[in-house]
Amino acid sequence: MGLRDDVARVLIPEDELQARVAGLGQAINETYTDEDCPLLVCVLKGAFVFLADLTRHLKVRHEVDFMEISSYGAGTESTGVVRILLDLEQSIEGRHVLIVEDIVDSGRTLAYMRRNLQTRGPASLRVCALLSKPSCREVDVTLDWVGFEVPNEFVVGYGLDYAEEYRNLSFIGVLKEEVYAKSD
Amino acid sequence: MGHREIPAEIERVLLDEATIRVRVRELAAQIGADYAEINDLVLVGVLKGAFVFLSDLARNLTVPHDVDFIALSSYNKGVVSTGAVRLIMDTRSSVTGRNVLIVEDILDTGYTLDYLFRAFQARKPASLRTCVFVSKPDRHQVKVPIDYLGFEVPDEWLVGYGLDYADRFRTLPYIGVLEREVYETEG
Repeated sequence: MGLRDDVARVLIPEDELQARVAGLGQAINETYTDEDCPLLVCVLKGAFVFLADLTRHLKVRHEVDFMEISSYGAGTESTGVVRILLDLEQSIEGRHVLIVEDIVDSGRTLAYMRRNLQTRGPASLRVCALLSKPSCREVDVTLDWVGFEVPNEFVVGYGLDYAEEYRNLSFIGVLKEEVYAKSD
Repeated sequence: MGHREIPAEIERVLLDEATIRVRVRELAAQIGADYAEINDLVLVGVLKGAFVFLSDLARNLTVPHDVDFIALSSYNKGVVSTGAVRLIMDTRSSVTGRNVLIVEDILDTGYTLDYLFRAFQARKPASLRTCVFVSKPDRHQVKVPIDYLGFEVPDEWLVGYGLDYADRFRTLPYIGVLEREVYETEG
């Protein structure tokens, strides 16, 4: 089964993606000092590919930590409240925290994550998102760095999946409508 | 991507980026060939260290697969591993009846992978294999089957490509040997 055949078109080719990730890394290098030692917080699963490439470009001293979350299901979506399956290994009190996200859609989950982490008293809290879909935004959430603004289409690859597939594509593609329409 | 200066704490580079890239591609080709006729492959990455290797391995894999993660913590935070590990986050989906490939950054004493192997075996997967990026044969305390291995490495403190020293140096794009004085004085 050819995963690439299910992609209608390449939205962001690999070289463009890599160049932008390098640029984001550079911006982060210029924002923090070694003393800040920012903690990059990766929200699984989707963001791990972005995190792996982004951190290869970081010269500034930093650490990484992971969170895994899941939705409580119907009824809680509007609040963005999620269940934390894996919390950070480290305390972030007094730390400079940078949330690394693959995509910001409605913004509800991210807004909740921001509030959640903010209560822990970090020295600073920023967000670096690879992709943002501004046309889908339902709540205001500050994104300090955005890789690409993308239209409201079903995007896959580079960590983004559809039913766990397409995550490992090295580019961002738009999924053919027939792929996600048939199983709905 | 050799634009990051090598930190003073790194004695030498053991595996550079190009060497790693080539080997990851070879491993992916080997895995792709072995699983070509097999459906329902799930790569289980062991946090935190394996995320870098997993991200590169998965991108080079041509066979369809899922990615899942588990997080472990050692009961003993010291340098010497006791073998006891605590599962702090399990996989999101069940592995029963599926083809599981555990992806680890390093095999040191083998206690962690041994524990994981037995834990996953008990869940009755269709098949269970291991893929380890670097292995330190001199350190092995228990015998764990490695199906896919990146490199055998000497018994030195290695950092980079997922491997850390107290959470530092984990994201170096190469694998380097940590200066002895770093862990002998600070640790």
